[in-house]
Amino acid sequence: MKKIILVVGARPNFMKIAPLMHQLKGDTDIKPVLVHTGQHYDEQMSGRFFEELGIPAPDINLEVGSASHAEQTAKIMIGFEKVCIDENPDFVLVVGDVNSTVACTLVAAKLNIRTIHYEAGLRSYDRTMPEEINRLVTDSITDYFFTTSVDADENLIKEGVDKAKIFMVGNLMIDTLEANLKKSEVSKQVFNLLNRNGKIDINKLAETGYGVMTFHRPSNVDEKQTLETLVEIWSKISEKIPLVFPIHPRTLHNINQFGLMEAMNRPNIYLIDPLGYLEFIHLVSKSRFALTDSGGIQEETTHLNIPCLTVRPNTERPVTIWEGSNKLINVQDILSETDAIIRGEGKTGLNPKFWDGKTAERIIGILKKI
Amino acid sequence: MNRIITVVGARPQFIKAATVSRQFQLTGVEEQIIHTGQHFDANMSDVFFEEMDIPKPAYQLDIHGLTHGAMTGRMLEGIELILLKEKPDGVLVYGDTNSTLAGALAASKLHIPVIHIEAGLRSFNRNMPEEINRILTDRISNVLFCPTDAAVNNLKNEGCGNESVQIIKNGDVMLDAAIYYAAKAERKSSILQQVNLSKFVLATIHRPENTDSPENLRGIILGLNEINRQIPVLVPIHPRTRDILAQLGIVPEFRLIEPVGYFDMIMLLKNCELVITDSGGVQKEAFFFGKHCITLREQTEWVELVDNGYNILVGSDSLKLANAFEYFKTKKSDFSIDLYGKGHAAENVAQYIYNFKC
Repeated sequence: MKKIILVVGARPNFMKIAPLMHQLKGDTDIKPVLVHTGQHYDEQMSGRFFEELGIPAPDINLEVGSASHAEQTAKIMIGFEKVCIDENPDFVLVVGDVNSTVACTLVAAKLNIRTIHYEAGLRSYDRTMPEEINRLVTDSITDYFFTTSVDADENLIKEGVDKAKIFMVGNLMIDTLEANLKKSEVSKQVFNLLNRNGKIDINKLAETGYGVMTFHRPSNVDEKQTLETLVEIWSKISEKIPLVFPIHPRTLHNINQFGLMEAMNRPNIYLIDPLGYLEFIHLVSKSRFALTDSGGIQEETTHLNIPCLTVRPNTERPVTIWEGSNKLINVQDILSETDAIIRGEGKTGLNPKFWDGKTAERIIGILKKI
Repeated sequence: MNRIITVVGARPQFIKAATVSRQFQLTGVEEQIIHTGQHFDANMSDVFFEEMDIPKPAYQLDIHGLTHGAMTGRMLEGIELILLKEKPDGVLVYGDTNSTLAGALAASKLHIPVIHIEAGLRSFNRNMPEEINRILTDRISNVLFCPTDAAVNNLKNEGCGNESVQIIKNGDVMLDAAIYYAAKAERKSSILQQVNLSKFVLATIHRPENTDSPENLRGIILGLNEINRQIPVLVPIHPRTRDILAQLGIVPEFRLIEPVGYFDMIMLLKNCELVITDSGGVQKEAFFFGKHCITLREQTEWVELVDNGYNILVGSDSLKLANAFEYFKTKKSDFSIDLYGKGHAAENVAQYIYNFKC
């Protein structure tokens, strides 16, 4: 029986590990050990997702908490090294591009434990993103590369990776999405507003159509001028179509700090607290379009074939652009692009290969062979 | 760049850094040194720093004697704090130790450009922790100074040239160091009088895969015993390795001496007939001083030495070792070929950094 340590640390990891843990339940060949580094640790960012996604409680919790990048990486390394020595696993599997991903890969590689990186090969080619550094570092030392799309395979081959070690397995996020879409229909639909008194009922709003927004990248929300421009644009869009905005704590903080909350008080802007996974996919699945600067939603909208406008100069998920319904745009093009969507001329696309809800099954199949 | 922080921790890194520091002073780049504490022993005393003209570190982290993960982790924390306080224009790292990796990782996360000297070297053996450190450091460095053409090619094969990363072949700072310290060594070292041998073969063994494997160690000692019957073999040896030999009942017939400092080592390299080693640096130094080398490893990062016939890899096989010795006994080579630059590697680094626009 092979023993495999699966590492989770931050919110985006949970959706990727969930289908693997479900698939491994009762497996007689592979024994999983779930390690939570505790990079995201509170109820809002962690506990709630474990519950919603039915992930078993972690076998080991390193409880590193929040800290600077280096300090967090350091604490994870120190803790995870002990775990590896005690557990002596056959494999360590890491996902995504957070500090836990790189720290645990590094520790395992030094102990000569074989490592697997799921979501390998994604590149934005923008090294000012800490995630890009994490991806580069992880992929430079991992033993096996599980990728979500063919462009990732090509990136890895360009970096000199042996083809035999690359496995295109598809997208675990889509496994989770497929498994939960039905359930999400009966999740909570009424939320309190943050920009004025009142409530919003998503189901009601869906009858006339709405756009969903997420913004949290430092390059968009940390400077007053940029954020001010965005608020103005959102306000203009909202004159044509309602916008629902579950807001990241960082963005909320900056809106208040820069005195922009007054300008956010528009009848058609619905500012709400961050959502749980089920609430969020329901919100996305019923929307007309997404306007975003984050990663995961680009993939979910591509699978659902809902137009997505990504306000970033680059993406590490280009397959959502080549094949899917995603589009990279500048701040100054947001209005014309949303207008096009409202006119019914939004981008549609295809579902990329292996984004079919069977990725966990493929991964476990490969794990048994290597 | 006007303000640089250099991160060092292992003994050879101090020698490399000192060579570059002298050039920084000439060019007018302001440098502060962080000593992580990775190597910490009597040979690293104040005398070492003085004798070698090594600038005193501005910061000492005193991190040593931990497992790889814990050591690197603690270094990351310590280095980040200093970088946040000093806000340098760039961070300079050397070689392939945990200090190298920790310095590069801490800086890259703070968006401070990372400059790696001795970039692009590969043994293609990932069981060596140094190999992992090299690959990772190169991956996140912004400026990669390569000592050799092979190093440049390794980086290109890993796709490094596809990005906004500078790859520069500048030669080997260890050659600069060898030239600088060789003159000093003549005055400071009395090792030749102490050993009092007119002709000898110099051998060093220190890598864990040799010292900690009874089988490998036995093979090497047998081979050296064989060579010693023809020409005296001299081995500066760590007390720990000497104890292992005693425990295993392996009897070296050749001469063992206490570990030697850098100056003594230079004099031994300069005056020996042949070098036998499992060290990376010594393979090259043998070449700098015009000596053939037999390497007690299966791979080397210095492939150009092997390709050009200056070095033979024998692993721990006593027969291969003896054969290589017979081969080199009569071989004459021209050592003037320019494999590692012409001794201006450190100067190139300092000039480049001085002109680098942040």
